[in-house]
Amino acid sequence: MLSTTEHRKLRLKARIRQNLTAYAFLAPALIFFVLFLAWPVVALLIQSFQTGGIMSPAKYVGLENWRQTFTDPLVVKSIRNTVVYSLMAIPAVFIIAMILALSLNTVRFGQNTFKTIIYYPTLQPILLAALMFTFVLHQDFGILNIILRAITGEPVNFLGNRNLALPTIAMVEVWKGAGFWTLLFLAGIQSLPRDLYHAAELDGAGPGRRFFQLTLPLLKPTFFFSFIFATIVNLQIFDSVFVLTDGGPVNATVTTTWYIYRSLFTFNEPGYGATLSFVLVILVLALTAVQTILFRERR
Amino acid sequence: MKHLPFRKIRAASRLLSSACLCGVLTAGTAWADGHLSGDITMIKGPHSADEAKFEAMIIDDFKSVEPNVDVTFTTYDWANMNAELTTGFASGNPADVLYLVDLIYPAYAQQGALHDMTGLVDSADWADERAEIPEFAWALAEQDGGTWGVPVLGAVYNIYINKDLLAEAGVLDTWDDSYAAMMDAAKKTTGDGVHGFSVRTRTGDFAFWDWLPYVHNAGADLLNDDWSGCGLAGAEAATQFLIDMHAAGVTPQIGALSTQEQFDLFKAGKIAIYHGETPQIGALIADPPSFEWDVAYAPPGEVGQTVMGNFGILSMAEASGNKDAAWEFIKHWASGPQVGRFAEQVNLQVVRGDIVDGMFAENPAMQKIQQEFVPRVQGIQPHPQILKILQSIWPVAESAYRGDLNGEETIAQMCEIIDGIVQ
Repeated sequence: MLSTTEHRKLRLKARIRQNLTAYAFLAPALIFFVLFLAWPVVALLIQSFQTGGIMSPAKYVGLENWRQTFTDPLVVKSIRNTVVYSLMAIPAVFIIAMILALSLNTVRFGQNTFKTIIYYPTLQPILLAALMFTFVLHQDFGILNIILRAITGEPVNFLGNRNLALPTIAMVEVWKGAGFWTLLFLAGIQSLPRDLYHAAELDGAGPGRRFFQLTLPLLKPTFFFSFIFATIVNLQIFDSVFVLTDGGPVNATVTTTWYIYRSLFTFNEPGYGATLSFVLVILVLALTAVQTILFRERR
Repeated sequence: MKHLPFRKIRAASRLLSSACLCGVLTAGTAWADGHLSGDITMIKGPHSADEAKFEAMIIDDFKSVEPNVDVTFTTYDWANMNAELTTGFASGNPADVLYLVDLIYPAYAQQGALHDMTGLVDSADWADERAEIPEFAWALAEQDGGTWGVPVLGAVYNIYINKDLLAEAGVLDTWDDSYAAMMDAAKKTTGDGVHGFSVRTRTGDFAFWDWLPYVHNAGADLLNDDWSGCGLAGAEAATQFLIDMHAAGVTPQIGALSTQEQFDLFKAGKIAIYHGETPQIGALIADPPSFEWDVAYAPPGEVGQTVMGNFGILSMAEASGNKDAAWEFIKHWASGPQVGRFAEQVNLQVVRGDIVDGMFAENPAMQKIQQEFVPRVQGIQPHPQILKILQSIWPVAESAYRGDLNGEETIAQMCEIIDGIVQ
């Protein structure tokens, strides 16, 4: 018979072995996480207190980059534009994707073909999308402007107008992203329990009531993931801004990531670029936290 | 079997050992038997769709002189040149030879990414060649006591006029007498889908090139004489003139068209006075429009009548592992026959004085540019922050062109930005 001490030793050994096994399984992901996520964030924080560091040796400048961040009007504008863009793009793409998902859910024949067609824009590189939208939006020969000119007599300067440029970029991104969210929502809808809908139908609930009182509440976990993911992605909007407007006209489409790019690569200011990147990290974390709290409270 | 005489074997082995020893001694250097060896890379923004073909000609000629040096040519995208070049420098393995414009090289020189070529360009065996490049061009390649490249090409930003439209409006001979005459010509030629006047408006199109000659004509510049602050005081009226042009409704709708789209409109006979650049002459010759056109420059301002131009230099990366071969290639590229042929192929200007007269014999527009415009060129001030200055102030000008600011407010806001950057 084993003594209490021996028992304890054996238990400890078993626990260590168990933990080691767990860490061994976790190791590949953990190494990846530390190397490609945690360390870059730390390096970014260090660089935000420096100047140079890419072509010339890094020099410690204390809080200078942070001070500049808080006094640079373009930083405020870029954050404002990024948030406004996200507020336009995320609800728009979700509403359109939900309508498409609900419609697709009722299609019994050729659903896969429709899914492919709807998902197709998501696969397009932004350069191709930008070129395509040139043919849609161009003031002289864009199809949308040809129609508008026929109706109103005046073409619309979509990308050259300060008030329209950001919504136009949001429109392009919604067009590109709707397919992805449609399939995600469709998967969510199709995984909902059918018996609840049958019961609701028997109780006399119409399609509207079924949608608002069954579908939407049951899709909350899907929405939770979608909002977080969409927020993270949209706050990093860069490629369509870079290709379509390059921040113009009159800085109307300057976004945080675009400004980070310009600081890092156009102006060779890695320290300031790192500081702006960290500001974006904080912004993403803050908005994600707010969304998590809101969803948790409502759950 | 006949035996080889011992003496011959000994001689052959001596020769072989000498050859081997020579090979061993020179393996670590670029020199071998008076010629260079190794690989070098050159990077440059394209001045033509056929850039690679034209560069291959230069490289082929170089190979006939230096057969053991392999030159790889690659390009960067003008709009993203800083991003691509910075990435190259940051990698520790940048191109050995870099074609850099005066807009960006000072920042790289300041950060130690470029090799100080003072000793090379001042060497006695290159003195005759150096003397062919005028001092104003050398001055553009010099910063903080160093010489950061060999000036090779210049690009002039000129005006294109549709002579038929101006003649129809009765202003062909008077349109460039003064700013008022230019405004009058623009108004008289506007109508029926025709715009009397156009300038670039977008930052990405380097719109500041079209604004700067008006600033220079007023005796102002981006920075003051010692580059310690803003030098734009005096440019208020010139800027107001361009604001008025937009307000007068003689330009395409602001922000609607890129410079290429404006050029397409000019080619279609829909713009009377178009601000562009000299490589477009090639497009006009290759596909002649249905009207008579000519090149011109802005009317005289309060102080002078200048032409905007910027210059390209051939620099060497500090990290280059084969500086001897890189320098030899730079000398070859910058030599009269090579740079002259390239400039003619892409319709750019040369800075060498010895080849100007014989150039563009069958291209009167380019001849005019080279002989009449180039002497009037006033370039930018190659301050390390010049690109940041230009890109940061341009949204203010864009805003002014849209009618938000007058000339005085525009210059005041621009000066605030410039002082913030420089000081």
